[in-house]
Amino acid sequence: MSSNNQRPAPPPLKQIDLDQIWGDLREGIEQVYKRQHMVKQRYMDLYTHVYNYCTSVHQHSSTSAPSRGGSARGGSFKKTGQVPGGAQLVGLELYKRLRDFLKNYLIKLLINGEDLMGEDVLAFYTRQWEEYQFSSRVLNGVCSYLNRHWVRRECEEGRKCIYEIYQLALVTWRDNLFKCLNKQVTNAVLKLIERERNGETINTRLVSGVINCYVALGLNEEDPNARGQNLAVYKETFEAVFLEDTERFYTRESTDFLRNNPVTEYMIKAEQRLQEEQRRVQLYLHETTMDRLAKTCDRVLIEKHLEIFHAEFQKLLDSEKNADLGRMYTLVARIPDGLGELRRLLEQHIHAQGLQAIDKCGEAAHTDPKVYVSTILEVHKKYNALVLVAFNNDSGFVAALDKACGRFINRALCILFCEYCTKPSRHARLCNACSGKVDCESERDIVNTSLLHSLGERYMREHDTSVAFSIGTSNAVTKVANSSSKSPELLAKYCDILLKKSSKNPEEAELEDTLNQVMVVFKYIEDKDVFQKFYSKMLAKRLVQHMSASDDAEASMISKLKQACGFEYTSKLQRMFQDIGVSKDLNEQFRKHLANCNELQPLHIDFSIQVLSSGSWPFQQSSSFQLPTELERSVHRFTTFYSSQHSGRKLNWLYNMSKGELITNCFKNRYTLQASTFQMAVLLQYNENVSWTVKQLQQHTGIKLDFLVQVLQILLKAKLLVCADDESDLVESSLISLYLGYKNKKLRVNINIPLKTELKVEQEATHKHIEEDRKMLIQAAIVRIMKTRKTLKHQHLVVEVLNQLSSRFKPRVQVIKKCIDILIEKEYLERTEGEKDMYSYLAGHDPHGRGLCLAVVIESESDLTEARMCDSRSLDWPLSGLGADSGEGHGVVTSPGLDACLPILMELEPALTEHQLYDSQAGSILAQYPT
Amino acid sequence: MPNIKLQSSDSEIFDVDVEIAKCSVTIKTMLEDLGMDEDEEEVVPLPNVNSAILKKVIQWATYHKDDPPLPEDDENKEKRTDDISSWDADFLKVDQGTLFELILAANYLDIKGLLDVTCKTVANMIKGKSPEEIRKTFNIKNDFTAAEEEQVRKENEWCEEK
Repeated sequence: MSSNNQRPAPPPLKQIDLDQIWGDLREGIEQVYKRQHMVKQRYMDLYTHVYNYCTSVHQHSSTSAPSRGGSARGGSFKKTGQVPGGAQLVGLELYKRLRDFLKNYLIKLLINGEDLMGEDVLAFYTRQWEEYQFSSRVLNGVCSYLNRHWVRRECEEGRKCIYEIYQLALVTWRDNLFKCLNKQVTNAVLKLIERERNGETINTRLVSGVINCYVALGLNEEDPNARGQNLAVYKETFEAVFLEDTERFYTRESTDFLRNNPVTEYMIKAEQRLQEEQRRVQLYLHETTMDRLAKTCDRVLIEKHLEIFHAEFQKLLDSEKNADLGRMYTLVARIPDGLGELRRLLEQHIHAQGLQAIDKCGEAAHTDPKVYVSTILEVHKKYNALVLVAFNNDSGFVAALDKACGRFINRALCILFCEYCTKPSRHARLCNACSGKVDCESERDIVNTSLLHSLGERYMREHDTSVAFSIGTSNAVTKVANSSSKSPELLAKYCDILLKKSSKNPEEAELEDTLNQVMVVFKYIEDKDVFQKFYSKMLAKRLVQHMSASDDAEASMISKLKQACGFEYTSKLQRMFQDIGVSKDLNEQFRKHLANCNELQPLHIDFSIQVLSSGSWPFQQSSSFQLPTELERSVHRFTTFYSSQHSGRKLNWLYNMSKGELITNCFKNRYTLQASTFQMAVLLQYNENVSWTVKQLQQHTGIKLDFLVQVLQILLKAKLLVCADDESDLVESSLISLYLGYKNKKLRVNINIPLKTELKVEQEATHKHIEEDRKMLIQAAIVRIMKTRKTLKHQHLVVEVLNQLSSRFKPRVQVIKKCIDILIEKEYLERTEGEKDMYSYLAGHDPHGRGLCLAVVIESESDLTEARMCDSRSLDWPLSGLGADSGEGHGVVTSPGLDACLPILMELEPALTEHQLYDSQAGSILAQYPT
Repeated sequence: MPNIKLQSSDSEIFDVDVEIAKCSVTIKTMLEDLGMDEDEEEVVPLPNVNSAILKKVIQWATYHKDDPPLPEDDENKEKRTDDISSWDADFLKVDQGTLFELILAANYLDIKGLLDVTCKTVANMIKGKSPEEIRKTFNIKNDFTAAEEEQVRKENEWCEEK
């Protein structure tokens, strides 16, 4: 700024003393605080007063400045100057007077409020605050020039306790009115809230007014210009006390209420209270209190009573009060880590319920797959719904449901407990495990352990399971465990019932739905490999016997299993499906072929075949058998036809799976008998003679004696044949004749009933195979793991094996140990010297010393020929018994090695017709090379 | 759009659109504090601004009424003086007295944009000039003694080197 000179005059720099303007300014300010109406002109006057004062030049306020007139030019070059910075800004005197004005105003105000209590003090405080706040805002506007220049500069220079005028007003309120009144004001607020909690209607404006004031008073002293409030005043003066008060109130209320009311009522009350408190914060408290208030309430209303809740939870489960269960879940979910116990209880409950439900079905559960599966499903459905609705599908509760279902499904039929008591009655009880229910039939007085053993054996007989058990020397509970569960078998049987052609086949949509349900149970089955075995057997039968209700349903089920367990799990099933399709075409071609071969004698028999690839179908070649001459020609024709189509392939005939129809001319009526190949062979003998001895029949048909006897028994039972001896003790010399008086209401008779021994052998074989296969899978897993890890502790190895195989079955640790021993013996692994429980992998193990190994496996029993090859450089599998010298050999070919191996294989084994390259780790086919 | 009557120190009344008048934070704050009264005839006196200057101020504010709000002052950002728009430059082609009065009015009415641009204009008048030239430009008498002048030069040597 310059001093006045020749140029047209800007407004002269006035020298205005504070006293000159203060009188009028104060009057105006008083007018503001009296809340009198103010016209714009007056406002501008006051503003201009402040402006003029602040822009005027004051000698006295810069006492140490050099005497030079224009101090506005700044004194920076004089280091001694006390006025810091550039231009000198005036304001301190005005600021002081404003401060004093506010202080006096408030001191006078306090006199009016000091003695008030309760709602009166609240009414006074909130009204005065509102007015004061409003007036101070106007004052701030009037003084904005002071704020903009002098206050700002002071703050920038770091002066403490200088505030913008509005802030100054707040600070002054805090230091005068608030300081003296806050105790009684806060108390009055708390009283009011308590009254509201007790059901009275209160004037919430009084509360919110006070809270707003407390929040506004939270100034940041360190940095007054930082706009953000710190909530110190609100937190210290109000929130802390309020939370204590809340805790006290609800501790008393909840304890009282629980003493006089059921827990279910209490939960409704607690829920209500929590909502109320939440609304309270929204309505008239500061939002930051929400969290802390909720935590306080959760602690007092829920956490303190958790034990009562837990006890009630079981009762609610028992009485199926789903709404209350849901309420309890919502309440307890508010407590960090509070749900663990509820989850545990739920798991326990579902488990017990599952066992009980199966128990209730009694024998039916063991024999009727439908009863068994639907019982499981009912339990699952019920609790799945509960988890979904009441427990919000909480992942922890879903896991509890899964765990419980897994436990009762996999254990229900296989664990028994023997309780061996030394009490006077001295009796043993065989109970169905976890339900703890005594199996009354088995309850017997016993005096020694051998009786207990015999009881166990009886149980095994009755329940058709094998049980291994030991008896402890103490009177402790002794665990008796069966080797495997029946669940997978029953489930597979249930699928068979669903998918087999029958009069009760459901509609397509319903079937699909049921299959989905089956998958629910399947998910829980541990021994998925057992299921696979049984399922593939039953599927094979359905396909071969054309008993499938629907191809679509079959395919749908296979795709479900594939989805659940992966490609390998279902590859054989799919292969079987394909074979049936291929066979249909083949029959068609064969028929055409026959029609075209005029020079040959036509076949008089309607003949159809199915060619099944040996690796995929779970069939075993039957024992020796002399094909009846009537059939020989057909078989021969087809064999020739097939060889011409696929040179080098070898056909093995599964006579035990074959069947045919015989038309009788010897009886009164013309019957059509649906018979097995063996039955046909026997019956055809009677074209030559009406009586044969058993021995003669055996010689002519070539059927093994024990088989033949069973075949005959069925025919005797069907009254087609007669014998003087009792059918149950046939001997070689027994004479068996055709019964010419045979009668049947139906003209078409199915006599093809499966042989008893066949069934039994089959079932046993299935179980035996499962055990063997598992050992192979375990060994493969061990080698695979050790190959990557090189060395590994026993325990870690076991854990990894369990992990790798968990999707198929749950290997027993005992078996894993055994497999490790086998592999050590075969020099795949060794125990690391000097380190306990440590194994190391023996690399480059190649007992045959060849880089590339071939394994040709002749499975003598079924006469299946499979080629399995090994590249020992990528060896993942024990090479023992490679070559033709042994019946077993397993190898693996990794895909890149495949093409290189094939020519060598062909050279070595020209007789091979079909090569299936196995990934023996997974038991699945890697590739198929038809030649 | 309602209008407001602004009265200059020499009693001339200007009828101005309220939104334009609110360029002045002082007027804006007043309207907020007192409320927009039903009494629209009420005159707002501006005793520190004469009619010639007020006219200029209103002209400037009208032109800039749709400007986006100015960014907050950033201490770290170096201020520029060469970013005056051509309209403002033309607008400020006035004699020194008017320029200074515009600065005072902008300060009084708290119109930051106008204050900035006017101050920048003055700064540009100083830039690159020797003390003597500056004295000449603003018609300032040299009231330093020789010794004082020497001391000032010494103290400010560091910035002259640049």
